[in-house]
Amino acid sequence: MQVFLQTLVGGLSLGAVYALVALGFALVYRTMGLVNFAHADVLMIGAYVASTFTMSEHLPFAVAVVAAMVITGLIGLVIERMLRPLEGKDFDLMLIGTIGFGIVLEALATLIWGATGRAVPSPVDTPPLHLLGASIPTYDLVVVGVAIVAMIALTLFLERTRRGIAMQAVAMDYDAASAAGINVGRSNAIAFSIGAGLAALAGALVGPLLYVSPSMGGSIGIDGFAAAILGGFGSIPGAVIGGVVIGLLSSFSAGHFHGYSDLVTFLVFAVLVMIRPTGLFGERTVSRA
Amino acid sequence: MHTTRSSRTTLAVSSVVLCLAAAAACSAPSDKSNSSSGGDSSAPIKIAVVDAQSGENSALGAWEYKGAKLAVDQWNAKGGIDGRKIQLHLFDDKGDPTTGTNIASKLASQGYAAMIGTAESGVTVAMEPTLQSAQIPNITSGQSPQIIASKDPFVFLNGPTSTTYDATLAKYVIDTKGLKKVAMITNNGSYGKGEHDAFLAELKKRGLSPTTDQVVTTNQIDFSAALTTIKKTNPQVVFIGSEEVEAGLIVKQARSLGITAPFAGAAPQGTPVYISTAGAAHAEGTIVSSPYLNNEATAQSKSFAAAYQAAYKQTAELHGAKAYDGTSIVLTALKNSHVATGKKLADAIRATNYQGLLGNFSFDATGVGIFATKIGIVKSGQLAAAS
Repeated sequence: MQVFLQTLVGGLSLGAVYALVALGFALVYRTMGLVNFAHADVLMIGAYVASTFTMSEHLPFAVAVVAAMVITGLIGLVIERMLRPLEGKDFDLMLIGTIGFGIVLEALATLIWGATGRAVPSPVDTPPLHLLGASIPTYDLVVVGVAIVAMIALTLFLERTRRGIAMQAVAMDYDAASAAGINVGRSNAIAFSIGAGLAALAGALVGPLLYVSPSMGGSIGIDGFAAAILGGFGSIPGAVIGGVVIGLLSSFSAGHFHGYSDLVTFLVFAVLVMIRPTGLFGERTVSRA
Repeated sequence: MHTTRSSRTTLAVSSVVLCLAAAAACSAPSDKSNSSSGGDSSAPIKIAVVDAQSGENSALGAWEYKGAKLAVDQWNAKGGIDGRKIQLHLFDDKGDPTTGTNIASKLASQGYAAMIGTAESGVTVAMEPTLQSAQIPNITSGQSPQIIASKDPFVFLNGPTSTTYDATLAKYVIDTKGLKKVAMITNNGSYGKGEHDAFLAELKKRGLSPTTDQVVTTNQIDFSAALTTIKKTNPQVVFIGSEEVEAGLIVKQARSLGITAPFAGAAPQGTPVYISTAGAAHAEGTIVSSPYLNNEATAQSKSFAAAYQAAYKQTAELHGAKAYDGTSIVLTALKNSHVATGKKLADAIRATNYQGLLGNFSFDATGVGIFATKIGIVKSGQLAAAS
């Protein structure tokens, strides 16, 4: 029972991290119809920027997180601006463009911070809470809380504001949206920079849980992407549920299958996607990419 | 997305390879004939360092390169070997066996006299067949018993094997300290598997079995299930067989789950990366089996540390020292054999008795030169000799 509870706690906090990553993937897909493959590398930049602010400049953690989100938001704007000539022409090329930016960001991080990476001390020092024999690290609660708030804020933005609705319209029909007077370029720029900000938020939060290095985006990116697919690509609540499912799957398969846990996790993932190709909250409104 | 990432990496690597091939095409003929035949007595001697310069194990790669470069710079400052300068070329294997084999083929075609590295046993195992058929002697920092199982006459270790590390560790933990309730957590990579088998063999030798034997993957992030199981068995000490960063994360999570038993492991558990990832307070009391505990041990290590500090403005550590020893042995063998290559150079390395930072090297038929480690304890974030 104790092992079960503790695995549950571990899986949920891991799931919150994946959910945050999946949210960024989902937002850009929902509003642009594009898979941003640079997302995981933007996350890595966010982790570096936030940890630099806390460790070298001794800024409070929350301030460092916001600063990291602003800086990566700007990077998102730059990426969108450079890819803009491809918008409405060839989405495959744009997709490849995001892969290219990912490589550039990884190389930049190696140049600026070196290849070695750094360990980031936890911003919350309070001892873990104990519940029915399971111990819950307080910092994990922060991560879960932030993931929930981010999900609610994004949903409200997309469904309740004019800007959000317009952004979704762009993804549904590029030409009709421009004809209706929506500034498509600006809409995409906002999507990209919010997506980058979310990546930075995820990066800043996972930094203290893991180890920050130029290649950290790799495995988190895969799991976050899998979470977005599982939730129903483009669905905001789906991204969160998908993240939690992938997190729990990883934790429990690690407990039962040890060295073969990755194999089992992704086999289950493959079967789930075969049963429900559109994901748990599947509403593939976008058919452009 | 993993496939996308690795395929894009492959794409990037292959384009780099193409560019390099194009650049090498102009100079290759003269280079190759010079260093492989040793005919031209003025051409530089080419030595390759192959180590991860990117990816999770890049810290190891960076330390190794610094150690190797320090040795080469010192020899060059003294005029090189037989009047010839030594050229050190760095290749990034990303800690990836496939990239490693590509680099091995490149070394074979470009006339390298010898290779230093890699720091990952898995990569070395993958590169061995190619290097063996090209007759390029290789001094690796890997320590998995798998490396010497092939009986390849061209591979040498610049440190002890996992068997030695874990024999010393088991002797201290079980025989000296009397801690008989030992839990094990290891990863399923080449290094972790080697540690797992070596330490388990030591337990069996003493008629013991681990309280639990947990295996994790090399890129796992959450260890709740494995660690809770370990906690339930209430061990006196936890043996850990994993690289720096992952081991650090395991220890950090273990402490938050309330495991208070000390951890025990081999060289990675004595490094600053492990200690900072775990957090100094959490790593406190970690028992480490290592051939190089700190820079203060001998006069030789003190002067090495001073030269390292002067060259890189950083504190020297084990991996730099290992690469420094390995490189010095290759250079000594090159000097003794008057810049021989291939089989002759391998024989010269085997015949080299070298007093190094890690101890006295005297190679056996399998390519292992050191058969002892020391026990250190992490105290206030630093590795100190056990009293």
